[in-house]
Amino acid sequence: MRLLALFAVVGPGLIAGLSDDDPAGITTYSVLGAQFGYQLLWVLLVSTVALILFQALGARIGVVTGQGLTGLIRQKYGAPAATGAMLALLAANIGTTAAEFAGIAAGFQLFGVPKTLSVPLSALLVTTLVLRGGFRGVERVLLVLSAVFICYVGAGILANPDWAAAARGLVVPTMPLTREALIISTATLGTTLAPWGLAFIQSYAVDKRLTTNDLSLLRIDVVTGALLTGVIGFFVVVSCAATLHVHGVSINNAADAAAALEPLAGTLAKGLFAVGLIGAALLAASILPLSTAYAVSDMTGSPAALDDKIKEAPLFYATIAVVTVVGGALVLIPGAPLVTILVGTQVLNAVLLLPLLAFMHGIARDRDLMGQYRASWGAAVGYQVAIAGISVCIVALGVLSLKP
Amino acid sequence: MSEPTVRRRRPGLPRRRGLLLRREVAASLVSVAGLVGAPVRDSDGRDVGRLVDVVVRWDRSAYPQVSGIVVKVGFRRTFVHAADLAQVARREVQVSSTRVDLRDYERREGESLLVKDLLDHQLVDVDGARVVRAADLYLALLGQRYWVVGVDVSFRSFLRRVLPGRARSRATPERVLDFAAIQQFGLPGDPLRLRRAHRTLERLRPAELADLLEDLGRPQRQALLSMLHPDTAADALEEMTAEELELLLREVPDEQAAELLARMEPDEAVEALRDLPEEERETLLAAMPAQRAEELSRLLAYDDEVAGGIMTTSLMVLGLDETVASVRERVLEHRGDQDLVGLVVVDDDGRLVDDLSLLDLLAGDPSEPASALVAPPYPGTVTPEADLAEVVEQLTANRGASLVVVDAEGRPLGRILADDVVDALMATRSGRHWPWQVGP
Repeated sequence: MRLLALFAVVGPGLIAGLSDDDPAGITTYSVLGAQFGYQLLWVLLVSTVALILFQALGARIGVVTGQGLTGLIRQKYGAPAATGAMLALLAANIGTTAAEFAGIAAGFQLFGVPKTLSVPLSALLVTTLVLRGGFRGVERVLLVLSAVFICYVGAGILANPDWAAAARGLVVPTMPLTREALIISTATLGTTLAPWGLAFIQSYAVDKRLTTNDLSLLRIDVVTGALLTGVIGFFVVVSCAATLHVHGVSINNAADAAAALEPLAGTLAKGLFAVGLIGAALLAASILPLSTAYAVSDMTGSPAALDDKIKEAPLFYATIAVVTVVGGALVLIPGAPLVTILVGTQVLNAVLLLPLLAFMHGIARDRDLMGQYRASWGAAVGYQVAIAGISVCIVALGVLSLKP
Repeated sequence: MSEPTVRRRRPGLPRRRGLLLRREVAASLVSVAGLVGAPVRDSDGRDVGRLVDVVVRWDRSAYPQVSGIVVKVGFRRTFVHAADLAQVARREVQVSSTRVDLRDYERREGESLLVKDLLDHQLVDVDGARVVRAADLYLALLGQRYWVVGVDVSFRSFLRRVLPGRARSRATPERVLDFAAIQQFGLPGDPLRLRRAHRTLERLRPAELADLLEDLGRPQRQALLSMLHPDTAADALEEMTAEELELLLREVPDEQAAELLARMEPDEAVEALRDLPEEERETLLAAMPAQRAEELSRLLAYDDEVAGGIMTTSLMVLGLDETVASVRERVLEHRGDQDLVGLVVVDDDGRLVDDLSLLDLLAGDPSEPASALVAPPYPGTVTPEADLAEVVEQLTANRGASLVVVDAEGRPLGRILADDVVDALMATRSGRHWPWQVGP
C-alpha cells in the first residue's frame, strides 16, 4: 500500500469530515439524541451514506474537470443558474458561519465571557490570521481542540447506553410525524451534508491538482472523513440519549449539551465541551468565508487569490467580509437563541442543498465534461434516490409547518 | 469602475460626445446571450421557431463568421443558413426564406456553436495573458454577413444575463476583448486544431504562459501544453513555481513530461525532479535520452542545499587557443540560451583559468586567442559541497551574475546563476491556498 502517497493526498476529506463536527453538527446531533433517544439514529446513518456518495462525487468532478463547482455550473447551465446556485451557497454559508459564531459564543459563555465580546474578537482573529497567513500553526492547535469531540466515543460507551435500542434505531426507520422530529431530521441531513463541504472538497481537489491517478486514494480519504463524521455523530446521539433523554432533559443551551459528556469527564465535562466547541468553530469559521470567496471568483471567471490586493480582487474580499460580518451580526442580535440558530441554519442548509445536488448530478452525467469518468447509470440512480429523499423530508417539513 | 474599452478619446473630445459614441457602438452590436430564446420570424412576420444557438465557422481570418443559426422548431433543432438570414436584431431574427430544412442540426468539421461551446467557457486572452470566462459575445454586421467581433468578460455583463427579457439583451460593451486576441481550446470534435497559429501563443512571455497554465482547467491546460512548441513549453515550465510544476508534471503523460524535462535547463529540471516521488522520478529519467538522464542523475545526487544541487551543467567551455572570432560564432549559435552569462576558459588539463563575461568577448580583438582575454581579477569559485552561505558570500565577492563550481582539481563542473540562489533562499508561494497551506 502506498502509505506515503496516501499522506500526500490525505487532507481534504479528513478536514471536511472533522469540520462536520462543528458546533452546528454537535448541537444538532445532541438535540437528536436528547429529544428522541435512539429512535432517529437511522437518519444519521442515511445522512452519512449520502455524505459519502456526494463528497466522493464532488472530489471526482474536481479531479476530472479541474474546475470548481460554481464555475462548472456556469459552464454547463448558464449564468442565471450559476447565479442562483451561488446565492444559495452564499445564504447557506452565511447561515453556517452564524452557526459557528453561535458555537463560539456558547463555548465562551460556559467560561463566563459574554457573546458581545467573544464573537467580534474571534471574527477579527480568524480573519486576520487567514488574510495575513499566520494560520498554519494555529490550525494544528485547532485541529487538536476539535478532536476533543472524539471524547464522545468514550462518553457514549461509559454512559451505559441501551445498545439493543441503539441498533434498532439505526436500522429501523420510524419517525413520529411531528414537526420537531422533521425539523431535527432535516437539520441532521443539512449539517452532515453541508453545501459548503461539497464545494470545498471539489475546490480543494482542483487546487491540489490531484489527477485521476490519485482518485482511488482520494476516495479512501473522503470515505474515512465521512465515516469519522458518522461515527462521532453516532456516539454523540448515543451519549445524549443515554444521559439526557433518559432523564427527560432537553437541550436549551450549551451547558445542557455538555452534560452528556459527564460520564466520561465528570465535572470537567463542561470545560472540555466548551474547548472543543470553540476549536471546531474557529476552524470552520476560517474555511467558510474563504471557500465562499473562491466559489464566487470561480463563477465570475476571474481567479482570485489571497496574494491579490483588495483593488485587484474586490469581489473576493467583499465576499469574505460579507460572510464574516453578516454571520457574526446574526449571532449578536440581542436575545438571539443560540441553539435555535444552530439548528435552524442547518435546516436552511438542507433546503439549499437541493439545487446544488441536482446540478452535481447533471454534471456527473455529462459526457463532455466527465469523459470516461461519467457517472454510471447505477450511480446516477443512487444520487437521484438521495435527492428525492431529501426533497421528501423538506416537503414534509413544509407541509407540517403550515398546518395549524 | 472598469474602463469601457470602446473609448478612444482624443484629448479635447467633449464627454458627451464620448458617451454618444459608446451608445452608438453598443447599439450596433448584437448580444448573443440576448439572442438565446429569441423568436425567429419569416418575412411575413410569422413565427418559425426560437433561436437556440449560433453557428460560426472558423477560417484563417481573425474573426469568425456566422455561418448560420440553430432554430428550435417544435422538437427539432434545425439549421438556417446565414445567407437566409434577413436581419439579426436585438431580440428577434428574421429569415428571408420560408423553406426550413427539417433535418436535425449536426455539427460539421470546423464549426462551433457560440452558446454551447464558447459562452461561459474558459478562454485565454492572449493580449492580457490571462484566463477569462466569456460572459457574452457580440455580433456585428459587416458587409452582408454577421461576424463575431468581441467577447465580453465583465462582471456587469454576467449579471445582466440574469435579468429578464429586454434588459438581458442590451449590449454592454464594457470589458470587451477583441476576438482576434482570443485563443480557445478543446473544441468538441475538433480538439487540437488552432484557429490561428501557434505564433499567437509563442508571443507570450514564459512567465505569462506559466500563469496561464496555472489558471486553466485541466483539459485546457493539456491542450495548451500540446499546442506549444516543446522548447517554448519548457521555458514556460521553468517559470512556474516548484509546486505548480510538480503538479503539472504528474498530470501529463510520462513521455511528454520526460521530453519537457529534457528540454529544460538542467538546474530547473533537477529542481523539478527533486520534488517528485522517487518512483515517478525513475520513470521520467528512464523515458529521457540517456545522456540527459545521466547528467540529471548526477546533479540529483547532490543535496538541494549545496552548490552542486543548484548549479546548471550547461557551460560554454573555451580552450586557451581558440580565437575570439570562433568563440563569437559559437556564442551566436547559442543565442537563445538564457543561461549563457559567462564563458569558462580552461587550460590543457581542463582546469579553470578564468570566467569571462560576454562583455569581455565583445571587447576582444577577433584574431586574438582567448588567452589574451584572460586577466585579473580572477573570480572565486566554490566546490559542489559548498553550502548556500558560502555560495552567497562568493557570489557577492565576485560581483558577478554567476559563480563557477569546480571539482577538487579545479575543473569546472557547472555554474550557479543568481536566480537559482534567490530561489534556494526564498520559498515563494502564489495562487490559491487554504489557511493551513500558507507558510514557508
